[in-house]
Amino acid sequence: MSKQINVALIGNPNTGKTSVFNALTGLKQKVSNYPGTTVDKKEGVCKLPRGLKAHIIDLPGTYSLNASSLDENVVVELLLNKTDKNYPDVAVIVTDVENLKRNLLLFTQIKDLRIPTVLVINMADLMKRRGISLNIPLLEEKLNTRIALISTRQNLGIDSLKEIINNYKSISTDPCLDTSRIDPEYFDNLKQAFPNQDLYKLWLVISQDANFGRMSRKTLDIEKFKTKSISELKRLQQKETIKRYQFINSVLKVGQTIDTTKATGLRARLDRILTHKVWGYVIFFVILLTIFQAIYDWATVPMDFIDGAFASLSHWLKTVLPAGIATNLLAEGIVPGLGGILIFIPQIAFLFLFISVLEESGYMSRVVFLMDRVMRRFGLSGKSVVPLISGTACAIPAVMATRNIENWKERLITILVVPFTTCSARLPVYLIIIALVIPEGRFLGLSYQALSLMFLYILGFGSAVFSAFLLDKVLKIQRKSYFVIEMPNYKIPLFRNVLITVVEKTKAFVFGAGKIILAISIILFVLASTGIGRQFNNADYIVRMEVAGENLSEEEIETRIASHKLEHSLIGVAGKAIEPVIQPLGYDWKIGIAIICSFAAREVFVGTLATIYSVGQDDEDTIKNRMKKEINPVSGVPLFNFASGISLLLFYAFAMQCMSTLAIVKKETNSWLWPMAQLVFMTALAYLVALIVYQFLK
Amino acid sequence: MTVADLKKGESGIITDSSSDEIPLKLLEMGCLPGNEVELIQTAPFNDPLYLNINGSHVAIRHRIAALIQIEKADE
Amino acid sequence: MINEIIQTILVISAMLVATVFLIYKFVVSPKRKKATKECGHDDCGC
Repeated sequence: MSKQINVALIGNPNTGKTSVFNALTGLKQKVSNYPGTTVDKKEGVCKLPRGLKAHIIDLPGTYSLNASSLDENVVVELLLNKTDKNYPDVAVIVTDVENLKRNLLLFTQIKDLRIPTVLVINMADLMKRRGISLNIPLLEEKLNTRIALISTRQNLGIDSLKEIINNYKSISTDPCLDTSRIDPEYFDNLKQAFPNQDLYKLWLVISQDANFGRMSRKTLDIEKFKTKSISELKRLQQKETIKRYQFINSVLKVGQTIDTTKATGLRARLDRILTHKVWGYVIFFVILLTIFQAIYDWATVPMDFIDGAFASLSHWLKTVLPAGIATNLLAEGIVPGLGGILIFIPQIAFLFLFISVLEESGYMSRVVFLMDRVMRRFGLSGKSVVPLISGTACAIPAVMATRNIENWKERLITILVVPFTTCSARLPVYLIIIALVIPEGRFLGLSYQALSLMFLYILGFGSAVFSAFLLDKVLKIQRKSYFVIEMPNYKIPLFRNVLITVVEKTKAFVFGAGKIILAISIILFVLASTGIGRQFNNADYIVRMEVAGENLSEEEIETRIASHKLEHSLIGVAGKAIEPVIQPLGYDWKIGIAIICSFAAREVFVGTLATIYSVGQDDEDTIKNRMKKEINPVSGVPLFNFASGISLLLFYAFAMQCMSTLAIVKKETNSWLWPMAQLVFMTALAYLVALIVYQFLK
Repeated sequence: MTVADLKKGESGIITDSSSDEIPLKLLEMGCLPGNEVELIQTAPFNDPLYLNINGSHVAIRHRIAALIQIEKADE
Repeated sequence: MINEIIQTILVISAMLVATVFLIYKFVVSPKRKKATKECGHDDCGC
């Protein structure tokens, strides 16, 4: 039974900390949640020399233990809580050669918590080019730690890091800074009141309390020590920072030499174009268009493949398994239902791929820089760009990505409007309706169908931005400017990192939404194949009587029977019940059912229609063909015609998202008010627009 | 003068960054008296400003930049 | 005959599991997450 130790990976963002984590744990990692928060918790296992096992936690990137966001708060909470089962036996601080001075601030803070702390200096491969040289033994002595100089890009130094972690017990836990020097009088009082506690730890708890207004553990009764006002505390924090830098400067003066003649140039040169007042924006829009175009084009092939594969699977199951309800459930309920979600893994994966590359390369920060002023006009932040773009994949990770927006009002507004952007789940609905009702033909070289899709995307962004504008005027919340964003060096994204990110995010999406859809598919199928009363049970007899005079083939009769059964099944009854409400929009009860079910997950709309149209049918027709044949009993024309199609498209453009999105909004805003408001407002808007459009167009 | 008054490419030495409105994070990134700050680029309307503060490349909004007192570096 | 019985049992169990799962996900779960702290209405910068 090998012993296991807890290792915490901490560091500034953009230092390659994730690469270190990946290098240490390989694919043996797991992503979950910090309880009570939505912050990602990444853990993995690494085998150290001589049988020791390291349980590694990759903590969110932070610049200092004085947290300014939820992510950063998670780090502090863990490091202050000795009873937490993840409390580290050793802390590994990841820094990079270029920003060593700033990175060391965090290092000194953590060392002062008296945890064995190891220093990792990453990006060693850049040292020569930047003219930086380090005296490692001297630095180790001055900082009282062990240092691993590594390069994740060239895969160097990882083994020596493992060796150092292995010997963690030999690392000194003396602090760097004598905390009481910040304000001798204040800290002497503290020392007397709490003689058994670490001074720095005490200080952190007090200042954190001021920052965040509440503490989750009651290890200290610090209430009586709130003798300083918030601005006085801030002044002390400033003093602390100055003292730390004084220490760091003295260390680096002897331990580091920089040859300034070897200045970089690449970052400056790239920035000159990419953040240019005109070209910056042009380039950004071109990149955006390319991404969307690529996703639309590239994804079509795998998607068609998946669609066909699932149709075949369905058919094959029916021939291979014994006939009966369970087989039907599998072949006509579960398989098409699942196919409906798996079919757009290609899209989601591509989008996450592009976003990940943009972030890893450092370009994303430039985008935020370019867009901030514009965004603020509408109550958003430059940092809202990432959530808004992510929203085109799925609103759920998009809402979670708002965590790094410091300003509460900007963050809230971003969360509320992200659901307007065209998420991947709407695409199946859009694509199938567009294919059915938009005519062939081109305009300026682009097909009408492509143009319609583009229009819907623009509509999504437009309504998001416009709603943000309205919300900004309406919401009476204070708004201060805490905006600070680092502009990291440009680098070529590490393929491994990008891959792992894409796999993780796609998995999370598929399994999260997948389970809900599976459950809905099952229930749906059962409701659609069960019915009570004469009409249902004697369907066969009734229909045959009805069509006695007409000369129908056996196949056509079977189809009629299946249809009749469906109409009188439990689901048919529910559908008919809401039909009067949706008829003014041009829909029938089948569409009605699909709409209701898609509240669970938007893409379920197509899956539901697939189920409804496959129930009872035996051939391999894909959904599209069957829908084309459907006739609206009231108007006598095809159900999916231009007017009803547009109405449906617009309904989906504005209707409130899936249940999963409501749940995440509730989590991130901590109240039911906002998700409910979203639900009511957006559903009403969708209904009205669809109604007006249909009545106008028909 | 303040950071907001810098022209593209110009540098200054920070003399006062004690305003309450300046986020602690910025101070921790090196925005402290005695450190050098250079303006690299501005977005339209001079907002936000892309700066090099003590080696850290960051972008901040105009409002905050106007609270950081500097004196021009000698040529 | 046996086939029919097995099939019916399978379907009913699937139905039960699905329903319970959905109820759990949408009714019980959000209530549990309410344990998080009050955050966001002051200028904590968060």
